[in-house]
This record gives sequence, structure tokens and C-alpha cells, in this order.
Amino acid sequence: MTLKQVTRLLCAAAMSSALVSGATAQDKVVKIGAILPMSGGTASIGAHAKAALEVAMDIINNAHPELGSLPLAKNAGLAGLGGAKVEVVFADNQGSPATGQNQALRLITEEKVAAILGAYQSGITLTSSAIAEKYGIPFLTPESVAANLTERGFKWFFRTTPIAPDFVRIYDEFLTDMKAAGAKTDSIALVHDNTEYGTSVANTIASGFKEKGRGGVIDIAYAVNATDLQAQVLQLKEKKPDVVLMISYTSDAILFAKTMQSLDYKPPLLLADDAGYSDPSFIKAVGKLSQGVFNRSSWAVGPSGSPSAIIADMYKKKSGEEMDDTVGRQMQGFFVLVDAIDRAGSTDPAKIQAALKATDLKPGQLIMGYKGVKFDDKGQNILASAYIIQLQDGENYVSVWPKANGEKAPVLPYKGW
Amino acid sequence: MRRWIWLSVVAAFAIAYPLLLSSPFQQRLGALVLLYAIAASAWNIVGGYAGQVSVGHVVFFGCGAYAAMGAYAKFGLSPLFGIPGGIVLAVGLAAIVGVPTLRLSGHYFSMATIAVAETMRLIVTNTEWLGAAVGLSGPTVPRNIFDLSFLSALPYYYLFLAILAITLAITWWMTNSRMGFYLRAIKDSERAARSLGAPASRTKLYAYMLSAALTSVAGALYAMMFGFVDPESGLGILISVKILIMAALGGAGLLFGPLVGAAILVPLEEISNSWLGGKGAGLTFVVYGAIIVLIARFQPGGLLGLLTRRGKPKTDMSKTDTSKTDTGAGHAP
Repeated sequence: MTLKQVTRLLCAAAMSSALVSGATAQDKVVKIGAILPMSGGTASIGAHAKAALEVAMDIINNAHPELGSLPLAKNAGLAGLGGAKVEVVFADNQGSPATGQNQALRLITEEKVAAILGAYQSGITLTSSAIAEKYGIPFLTPESVAANLTERGFKWFFRTTPIAPDFVRIYDEFLTDMKAAGAKTDSIALVHDNTEYGTSVANTIASGFKEKGRGGVIDIAYAVNATDLQAQVLQLKEKKPDVVLMISYTSDAILFAKTMQSLDYKPPLLLADDAGYSDPSFIKAVGKLSQGVFNRSSWAVGPSGSPSAIIADMYKKKSGEEMDDTVGRQMQGFFVLVDAIDRAGSTDPAKIQAALKATDLKPGQLIMGYKGVKFDDKGQNILASAYIIQLQDGENYVSVWPKANGEKAPVLPYKGW
Repeated sequence: MRRWIWLSVVAAFAIAYPLLLSSPFQQRLGALVLLYAIAASAWNIVGGYAGQVSVGHVVFFGCGAYAAMGAYAKFGLSPLFGIPGGIVLAVGLAAIVGVPTLRLSGHYFSMATIAVAETMRLIVTNTEWLGAAVGLSGPTVPRNIFDLSFLSALPYYYLFLAILAITLAITWWMTNSRMGFYLRAIKDSERAARSLGAPASRTKLYAYMLSAALTSVAGALYAMMFGFVDPESGLGILISVKILIMAALGGAGLLFGPLVGAAILVPLEEISNSWLGGKGAGLTFVVYGAIIVLIARFQPGGLLGLLTRRGKPKTDMSKTDTSKTDTGAGHAP
């Protein structure tokens, strides 16, 4: 008799799947899908991004003349679509490439989104953008940096964030300027974890520095979420590099700061590659032990009353956190995508794709420190850039480089504690 | 005879499902149910019938997934060519791992399998040739039909259905063969089975190897459908747990148990994620956890076991089927 019961259960299951019904289309609403990690180990990233996109929706859908030259802010809704409002449909990728792809399919076929933004983790961006490519729906990643994403020959994939080759250029120019100011920058140690982010960024920097004629790169790897980093710090102590470049997530960055203090090691110049060092919890935990650390960031608050300062304020009210580089890049990517839809004057994917390809935003139209937004044939923003910021007082980063954007002059050597 | 009628009803429904529910998301959901049913049915051979609860089964899943993606990424072949390679790898690994660990009993065996899976995940994470932490991706644009990269879920659905049918047929054949009787005897009491002359170690090892081979096929199919594998999605412990829960929910040691478990849990996960995931509640995992607790507490035999037990008095009176035991485990319908 079991089979009869099996049939009943299967029927019940089928009915439950039938409940996944399509959403009804509303007038004058442009739907954009956002695939983000809302649960799992990086859930806080998703929560912050959600708050940032809600702030961006507020800016686009309501009139904000105080934001000046920022596109879409002045009037309510999208002028190009007769004042249509923008609605973001959030989807949880659960940190899984499979779930991310399923959600991309759902956003496209059930929610009928005009475009997709996502998906934080590079592996998930890879699988979910493959579905968008097959369906011919624009997919913009504001934050995934893996090099292979733009090497797949995709026609519907766009990326606004700076990537590893941009970092090489920024660090090279920064170190050249520091050398001119009297700092020694001959030997460089690259400290990185063994994740995709750590290894790929370290490899690109190592080969990029070699091309630019910077010899003496020391590679120091460690396992992510380390419980002990004494060996790595002792190695640094022994080799005495002029510059230590840290490519680390938050928990490891905190442990490095503590270990450096306990072993009394201070490199002459400590430079961090965003990630953990930009996390507000890093500053809370060990900011006072890391005074003078340099960091890469495309985000700088700017003087009060400036558009970026107003947005930072709106974000803080929404989320209770200070705005950081990651949410800034996500918000910027969203603005670029919506700006393209506005210019396309339509939710037709092909028209949005054409508008994205024609994107040419100037620095004054951005909230981030990019030199502009303009995509190459592969969909990569060729004008993506970043500032160098410094944690001078151990509490707040200030931008110190390039000189034109610097609030303060860089301070050397590294002070530590 | 009624058994065959119901079987054909189930089969007819499975074949007609994509025609009844034609939205792309629902068809994909159907394909995913079948995919997980294959993996859970494969686990069922060693976890359900032999009673050896392997929590590290993802290691075989990973063999298949990496072999399929490796065939494409490293040799430019169709991922299909990776399937035999994945099976060989998985069976070889099962033999190497199984000989020492299958001597362990109960929790110790489960712990050993976890250790093997985690070790493998760390090795792959640090192996440049296998894509390390970045993972391997499949063909982005299909070159021909053998790349199995389709827009529609329909081809996947029917491919998975065929392989599930083969998996279930192998399982059914196994349970009715000498090996099935040995396994049931070992599950009830290994010492008693040995004393009656059943070759316990060898039988368990064979079951483990068969299960590994089928799990690796599921892994290869998974990688082909999603076009990507990295250490977390191909060798992460959560996949083992998911497979195990599906089998346990439906009824471990029952032929159709894993299918029922997958048919309930996969839609439950995708739908709850679609409805609630965007709110950042993580509710899917709360539901998962609750189900584990409820099964462990009230129904260790699984849902099908519940129905079998409820329906038993009637069945016994009308058919006097003496082969049914009250554990609800260990026999085909």
C-alpha cells in the first residue's frame, strides 16, 4: 500500500510547488532584482546592502534637489519613463551558487525584473549571471572582483567596481608618491589568506608589481579565519620589508593587529587592501592598535553638506552603521543601472543593455571616488578607481591620497599603538 | 497487482509534471527534486539499508562534480566525459576510506566520514590545479548538445528522471538480492549476522562503493546543471546534511523514502527562500532545523515509515503480509 501513500505525498508536494505564482505587473513600476547574501556567514553584508539600496530607492523615487548633480535625485521617479518608480525585489543567495542561480531564474521569469544587481560572492555572481546571459537580461555586479567574471565573453554583464589590476595601479602610484616623500618602498611583503579573494588579488599584485619593475615582493600566505598568526608576524619581523600589504578579512585583520602588538612588530609602512580593514568592527576592536594604517577605499564621506555626506547620513539613519566602501560600491552600482534604465526610457532589456554600453558618467555625478563610469567591451568599468585613506587617530579614516582628494597629508612611519 | 498500478500512476505523474506546471521556475524545481532524490537514494543504500550513517557523503558528490567540470575546464571535453572518471574516483576513494572506517560502528563511523570530507575540502581549496578557492566553471556558452548547458530545465528534468529510475531500479534489485538480505541482517545486528555466516565487512564495503558511485553521478549532474563548482558548493558538509535529512525525512531504508523527502524539502526550501529570503530572516534554515529535531524525536523511521505503521493493522488483516516489521525499515513496497 505504500505506493498509494507515496503518490499522495508527491501530489501534495506538487501542489505546494504550484503555489509559487507569478507576481502581477503593476503600472509605472520598474522592478530590479537584487541577489544578496541575506543568511549564512555573510548575512550582515546583505542586511547592509539592503539598507543602502532602500536609501537609493528613496533618493530615486522622491525629489532630493539637495543632492545636486547626482542623476535621478532631483525629481521623483524616472523622468525617462514618465516618473515611474523603482522597486527592488530582494532575493537571498544563502551563500550558495546553486541558490543564487535559482533565484536569478525566479527574478527573471516570475518577478519579471528589468535587470539584476548582485551577487556579492564572486562564485554566485558567476552562476547567477550565466542565467541572465541566457535570458538576455542585464546583470550588473557592483562589488564582485574575481577577474574571470568579465572574461567570459558575456554581452549582458557589467561591472562598476575597481578590480585587481586597478589596485595594482593605485598602489604603484601611491608608493611612488610615498617614495618621493622620503619613505623607503623597495621591498614589499604581500600578506594574504588562501581564499579566492586573497589568492587572486595577491597574485595579480605580485605579477603587476613585477611588470612595473618593483622587485623584492615577499609572499606570506595563511589559512583564513586563523587562530594563530605568530608565525607570519615573526616571518615579517625577520625579513624586515619596507612595506607590508595586508589582504585580509575582518577576523584575521584583528588578530594580526593584536599579534603585531604582542610581538612588538611595526612595519615602516602598513597598507591594507580594503576588506577587513574597512569593516567598522575592525576599527572598534583594534583601531587604537593600528594607528596610521593606510587602506584602499573608493568611499570618502567628504565635507558636510556634500551629496556623499548627505547620503552617508541617510544610510546611518536607516541602518545604524557608518557607510563603508562595500555598501558605497553597491549603491553606486545601483545608481548606474537605474540611470541606464532612465536613459533607455524603457524596460526592454535590449534598450537597457544599449544604454549601459553608452554609459559615460563623470566624477561629479557619482557618490564614489571613481574617475567616472564607462564600460569596455567586456563590461568592465575602465574608470573605476580608489582613494588611499589613513586611520590617523585610530578612530576614523581620512582620505590622504591622491593629493587632490586628500583631507589631510599622509603621516609616516606607521605608529601602531 | 495494485502495487504496479500505483507505480505507474507515480511514473505517469513524474513524466507529465513539466507539462502540467510549465513555468521555468517550477520545471527547474522539478529537476532539482529529482537531482536531490538521486543523491538521497544513493545515500540510502549505505545509510538506510546498511545502517551506516555516512555524514561525509559529499566527498563522493564532489568527485563527480569536479570530474565533470574538470573534464571541461582542463581538457576541453564535454562534462559528460567526467562522469565515468568521477565514478572511478568515487569508488576508489570509497574502497580506500571504507576498509578502515567501516570497521567503526555508530557515531565513530559518522565522525570518520566527516573528517574525510573536510580533509578533502581543504585539500581542494589549496590545490591550484582544481581551481583552489575560486572553483571550476563549465562552458559559459554551450558548444554543442553534449555540453548539457540548456536554458530550459526540461532536458535536465527528463535526464534526471531517467537516472533516478536507474538508481531506484539498482536499489530495488539490490534489496531483493542476497546482498539486500545481508544488509538488513547487518543493520539489525551485525554480530548476529556475522555469527550466521554473513560476510559483514565485505557486504558493507560493496554497499558503500555502490552508493559512492551513484552519489558521484548526482554530483556530476549538479555541476552540469549549474555550470560551476567550488569547494563550498561541491564539498561543503551542508550538502551531506541536506541529502541525509531528505532520506531521513522520507524514510531511510525505504525505496521511495528519499524521493518523498526530496519532493517535500526541495520545494519547501526554494519557496520559503523565495517568500521570506528577501527579508533576511534565514527562515529556511529554521525550518530545516525544526524538521531534524521533530524527526529525531517522534519519527526516526521517516514519513513513509509513519504511513506504513499506521496502515499496518489493516494490511496485516487483509493480506497477512508477515514480512512487515514494526520498525518500518528495510523493505521495498
